[in-house]
Amino acid sequence: MSEKDIRYYWNLKGFKPNPKQEKAILHVKGPLFLTAGPGSGKTRVILWRTVNLIVFHQVDPKKIFLATFTDKAAHQLKEGLRSLLGLITNETGQPYDISRMAIGTVHSICQDILVDRNRVFSPDGVRSKAPVLLDSLGQYFKIYRRSFWRELLNAGGYLYSDNIEDDEEAAQREINMYFSGSDFYSRHEAATNIISIFNRFSEENLNPSAHQPDDEILRRILKMYAFYCNSHIGEKIDTVDFSLLQQRAFNKIKSFNGSKDAYDYIIIDEYQDTNSIQEQIYFEIARKCKNICVVGDDDQALYRFRGATVENLVEFEERSKKYLNEIPTRIDLDTNYRSKKKIVNFYTDFIEQTNWAKRDGKGSYRVADKDIQPFNQEDFSAIVTTIKIEKINVFEKVAQFVFDLKANGKIEDYNQVAFLFPSLSYRGLKNGAVAEFETALNNKGIQIFAPRAGRFLEIPEAIEIFGLLFHILERPSHQGPASGGLKDYRQWQLNAMYRAEQLMAHDSLLKEYVSDRQEEIKMVKADYEALMKVIDKKKWKLENALNLDMIRDLASASGLSQTAKATLQKRAFLELLKKKQQAKQPVSLNYVVNRVTSVDWSILDLFYQLCGFKHFQKMYELAEEGIDEGPVCNLGLITQYLARFMEEYTPIITASFLSDKKFANTFVGSYLYAIYRLGESEYEDADDPFPKGRVPFLTIHQSKGLEFPYVVLGNLNKIDRPADKKEIIIRELLQKEGEPLDRISHFDNMRMFYVALSRAQQMTILPQWKGQQRSQAFKNMFAQNVYPVIESLNVAELPPSKLDNDDLGKSYSYTADYLSYQQCPRKYMTFNKYGFIPSRSQTMFFGSLVHQTIEDLHHLLISEKKKKQEA
Amino acid sequence: MQDYEIIEKIREYFEDNYELMRLEGGHAITEDIKQLALTQVLYYFTKLKDVATKVTDTEVKLTLPDQKTPKGRNFTIEGVVDIVRDDDETWMYDIKTHDTAYIESNKALYERQLNVYAHIWQNLRGQALDKTAIISTAYPESLKQAHLLNDQFRIQYELSKWNPLIELDFDQEKVKEVVDHFAEIVDCIEEKMFKPAPVEVLRSTMEGTNALFGTRVCRNCDVRYSCSSYRDYATSKGKGERGSFRKYFDDFGSDADKEEWVNANLAAKNPDDINPAEIQ
Repeated sequence: MSEKDIRYYWNLKGFKPNPKQEKAILHVKGPLFLTAGPGSGKTRVILWRTVNLIVFHQVDPKKIFLATFTDKAAHQLKEGLRSLLGLITNETGQPYDISRMAIGTVHSICQDILVDRNRVFSPDGVRSKAPVLLDSLGQYFKIYRRSFWRELLNAGGYLYSDNIEDDEEAAQREINMYFSGSDFYSRHEAATNIISIFNRFSEENLNPSAHQPDDEILRRILKMYAFYCNSHIGEKIDTVDFSLLQQRAFNKIKSFNGSKDAYDYIIIDEYQDTNSIQEQIYFEIARKCKNICVVGDDDQALYRFRGATVENLVEFEERSKKYLNEIPTRIDLDTNYRSKKKIVNFYTDFIEQTNWAKRDGKGSYRVADKDIQPFNQEDFSAIVTTIKIEKINVFEKVAQFVFDLKANGKIEDYNQVAFLFPSLSYRGLKNGAVAEFETALNNKGIQIFAPRAGRFLEIPEAIEIFGLLFHILERPSHQGPASGGLKDYRQWQLNAMYRAEQLMAHDSLLKEYVSDRQEEIKMVKADYEALMKVIDKKKWKLENALNLDMIRDLASASGLSQTAKATLQKRAFLELLKKKQQAKQPVSLNYVVNRVTSVDWSILDLFYQLCGFKHFQKMYELAEEGIDEGPVCNLGLITQYLARFMEEYTPIITASFLSDKKFANTFVGSYLYAIYRLGESEYEDADDPFPKGRVPFLTIHQSKGLEFPYVVLGNLNKIDRPADKKEIIIRELLQKEGEPLDRISHFDNMRMFYVALSRAQQMTILPQWKGQQRSQAFKNMFAQNVYPVIESLNVAELPPSKLDNDDLGKSYSYTADYLSYQQCPRKYMTFNKYGFIPSRSQTMFFGSLVHQTIEDLHHLLISEKKKKQEA
Repeated sequence: MQDYEIIEKIREYFEDNYELMRLEGGHAITEDIKQLALTQVLYYFTKLKDVATKVTDTEVKLTLPDQKTPKGRNFTIEGVVDIVRDDDETWMYDIKTHDTAYIESNKALYERQLNVYAHIWQNLRGQALDKTAIISTAYPESLKQAHLLNDQFRIQYELSKWNPLIELDFDQEKVKEVVDHFAEIVDCIEEKMFKPAPVEVLRSTMEGTNALFGTRVCRNCDVRYSCSSYRDYATSKGKGERGSFRKYFDDFGSDADKEEWVNANLAAKNPDDINPAEIQ
């Protein structure tokens, strides 16, 4: 098709692949196993390989399935591919359309398969009924909510006595004991444990009725899981959680014979972090074409706790033989282009500080014979430590070094130095070293950015908004003593109330606004009592159908407000009641009472109005001018939580809901408390995760796939623990073999540090201090080698690191971006850019409903036409 | 399939979609509005069956990659359209739920959009287009009346009078100008220039409507309370500062909107249905 061959374009892009990269890019037929060490240019290889298929082998992009691990990586692949194909189009005039290509995270592709807009996974003309996806918070609320939780326990045979509360507590204790070994009654804890095992079951595609283990508790849990799976089947529409989503997509693929023709090429990145159901999906869609290419590095496997099994990668050769009856071509991408030589030498040494050999001596738990070589051959001191003195002094020296790097122009921005930690926080509180490094940097005038270090509810914007909402809508009246978590939460509420008082003291209009709303609430409550008096006196029943004659009696209730009276006598309202009666669907008396005694606003409306007061208005102004977007991002996140509450419960606030503090107990006592305990974190922008001018503090998991000129590893210790209970359960139930249970945690910790150690381009700093805990492998490394200390470095002599400006570009929609921005840039900013949830979106709902149904109609007509033509 | 079967299907799809969106969005729309949406689709099919049955590609995603902004950023333009083809001609249309009067008065705006889409399509598929058009599913008031009265003769008459298809001039010369402007907007977005529309715009009438921008756009925008332009607009219409403060905030839409909102949500998610066991 194209006269110029692929080398021409490599040249144009200044890309000189090494022989192994070239071989991988040009590989077309049959399964391919790419091991890709850190910084080995794997993304480029994937991109060029896809380009080779589309441009030089005429593969239709919609026949390619390309999955990766994060949204960010997916975005990079998509835009990278667009850009390379665009380059070729400019040369040849031949356009390429990748809009129908299956490219994204496995979850997003599974969702697409279930919606099946391209009508590939169902017979002609049949429209797929896609389930509604519950995200992890949605799944938590489903399970945690009392009524469902009880049904679940009941399914497990836990509720048998007369005292349901005692049964519940006993069940929770048993579940918590079973999973974490502590006798703890918390429902939150138990729900969290149950969720992780359920997700694991789903990811293993486990059929709960096929197993009858001896372990009685496990039998109960399996029954609960079966109940849980069934509970997702709805009358009109089903739901799924993230794990069941994959299972459901797998079942859809499997049950439709045409699925085997859906894709001609399957490429999966980060294969070391795939789970069992994903592996089944991949082999299923590759069954016919056999062109499956997996890319990964077992040493960088991080997600066992989410059900990933590194064996999928380590044993890919055998499994390909088993499922596809073909042995894959293996190519090792083993040249590291990212890091200085001594960094590469350090981590390749580090990973061998433990014994990976299988106990029977046959093989190893790592991919064998990898030989990672640095491209860089400079004798540069790229691994640096500190003199072992008091911790506080070490942190000060590290902070000074960061300061000097910037002051000497060796980095252009503080976001070129990353601090990595095995974890940043525990139960919403920052870990010691994290907080101390932060202080040390702050003392030098350096700000940090730690998106997952703190609790979202502790940020100032959240405290202020929720404090004001508590003043208007009240908070639960607390009785009795509270344990640690609850005590903290009550203190948080008090702080929020106090902060709100301060705001009101500074803004009399705000104070007036809050008291107006309080009055309004008093009024609907009084109206409610007035109406109930009439109802009691007349001995009417709330649940009975409304008789229109009742309205007169209600309207003349003593003490009823003018507003309520007016609502009762409004013509439109009476018409509605009449219409319902004529249609033989009369409303209940209760409905009328609620209608008359509900306030006109929701909590989200309150939020938007509160933002109209000067304290919050200023935050918007900072963002409008492009000065600081932080506060507005956080406000946007608050709208998401408020909307979520309305979604989970109700948007309507009625007097009966407000009575007996029912609303406060639901909103504050239950909903917000859950958010508080889950430690939901602050706003993160997936496209642009590291704001300028700040030093990022990341978990090692967050740093996956990223690189930085300088990396400080803030903690050299991670204790090996016994194998996770879930792992043991799965092994037993499914008779699976794998890494020895007593080695798992150790292996995982080694891999985690391997990831951390392979992030830096110029330098990795491993601080040491007196009394520091270090993992054995680090102790070995320090015992065997001598590393220079930062005190001895001459910063002025270090090479400068340029800011990475890899602008892949973004996609902009003509209507949703271009036109919206022109209508009002500020409106665009809030709703399109920072994800504010609109309070009332009737128009949007209406438009989408019409469009979607017309689209479905068109699909039907197209397939009808096709049938006619075939006939 | 017979027409009545197709109409049955439309109803079925519609219900499914409604349910899905309700669950995903977490809130409801009133029965009246829901019926209005369904009727729009049904009348679309009745009135434009000819067009609808010739659709060959629906909701096609169009992309124009590899564009550059004046400040050197890369970007891609995206859009979605439907394509109709028969033996002799191919045309592209975009469905809008705006009323025809609005579209007629803002033709230039839609022309710019469809010209860009047409440009992408012709390059991408190497297929020439013959026509571009907007289809408005918002049927006229007279048909609405006939529908409410369920007067079949009048419905037929009004249907035949209704013209939902607005053909647009098709001029590839204008594409570059629009794409260049698009590029400038991308720079503005990336540089985080987010000042609100100026108050003069809020005070002006919107093309094709009798409404002011401040009413038609801002009254439906939740962040109006914190907006400097809207504050100017809302508080400068006479009345003393104190008096307007309360009024400015006592604004949850018109009485009809409030009524609709409360009724729809009370019917769909009555707080009384919250299980008492939840609350603790």
